[in-house]
Amino acid sequence: MSLEEDLARPRWKRWLFNRFVLVPGGIGIIAIVWNAWVFTHNHGTVAGRVVDAKGAPVEGAEVKLWVFNFTTFVEQASTQTKADGSFEFASNPSHNIQLSAEKAGVGRSRIPVRLYFQSEDISLKRPLQLSAAETGK
Amino acid sequence: MARQRRHWPIHLVLIAACFVMLVPFYWVLKTSVSGENIFSYPPSIIPRDPHLFYYVDVWYAIPFARYFLNSVVVSVLTIIANVVLNAMAGYSLTQAFAGKQIVLMLFLSCMMIPFQATIIPAYLITGKLGLLDSYLGLALPMFSTIICIFVFKASFDAVPRSLLDAARVDGLSEWLIIWKVMMPLAKAAVATNVILSFIWSWNNFMWPLIATRSQDMQTLPLGLARFISYQEDTTGALYAFCIMVLAPGILLFLLAQKEFVQGLTTGATKG
Repeated sequence: MSLEEDLARPRWKRWLFNRFVLVPGGIGIIAIVWNAWVFTHNHGTVAGRVVDAKGAPVEGAEVKLWVFNFTTFVEQASTQTKADGSFEFASNPSHNIQLSAEKAGVGRSRIPVRLYFQSEDISLKRPLQLSAAETGK
Repeated sequence: MARQRRHWPIHLVLIAACFVMLVPFYWVLKTSVSGENIFSYPPSIIPRDPHLFYYVDVWYAIPFARYFLNSVVVSVLTIIANVVLNAMAGYSLTQAFAGKQIVLMLFLSCMMIPFQATIIPAYLITGKLGLLDSYLGLALPMFSTIICIFVFKASFDAVPRSLLDAARVDGLSEWLIIWKVMMPLAKAAVATNVILSFIWSWNNFMWPLIATRSQDMQTLPLGLARFISYQEDTTGALYAFCIMVLAPGILLFLLAQKEFVQGLTTGATKG
């Protein structure tokens, strides 16, 4: 756009539709949308499933939620899996966690889970797969 | 067409120069999303398993939002003060008055004094004013910079004298001449002042280190130093922090680079 064309536009358009307003405005809108998303998805829910080496659901496995605390992971909560192998934690406070699952005679597993914000609600796409190799047997 | 073909060696050299200058930025960006140590061998050009979790770590490891807000407030104060005070000083230097050459020489010689040499008096003055550990105190020593005064002076010198005389005939005061006549014609100088004062204020480490006492008043460069001091494995997160600190400055420069270059070259071809 030439200078003449630019000056021919109404003053409010010149003030509003320029890169010094549009770029910060766009960033502001993205920030608002992101914060709205965070606000509606931060209940601290962590859900998943535990399966054995063959992929069958494991009932009664002990699942622990580990939360990163400055330098190490500390145990935050624990629960038992249901008949379909599912489990759920309701009060994860962190963005950097690990989940461990263990059942005597079946095996154990431990996976890191990274979240985009603290207390993000997440449902694990891949189940924790218990393997005897990790028990050291 | 033939003329364009003759330019290819220059373009080749420029592309090579761009590559050399951009590689460090790319490396910082790559490490911030992959966490690969700079000493890893063999080095990879493309990041392996890129993710944004190091940025999340930085956000929660320190009060990033608070440091960011502090840096923004201090930078905005610095920018406003620089534009207003430097424009006034630059305008006065375009006028004829007794001792002008001495003032110019004084300004030029003061440019050679490093800030570190004036930190003690700056601290004492800020302390006497009761502004230590405050936004105003953090911005105060950067309220006016001599280089930016000369940027305004060069821009104002390029305005024809007849325009000023016409403004005076119309009854405008010197104050209104600056804001109604000079400033609209010196947009490039304003952009240069904004960018330079922002970058200097944003990156300033030494003065905030001395002038702040509480953690709540610290700015991003202090936050970076603090982050390094208590994080062990910092490779990816440290580079992510660098990107988060650098991004606003780079964005501002990209937004106003046309005016910035114009402002720096105003007066360079005069005469």
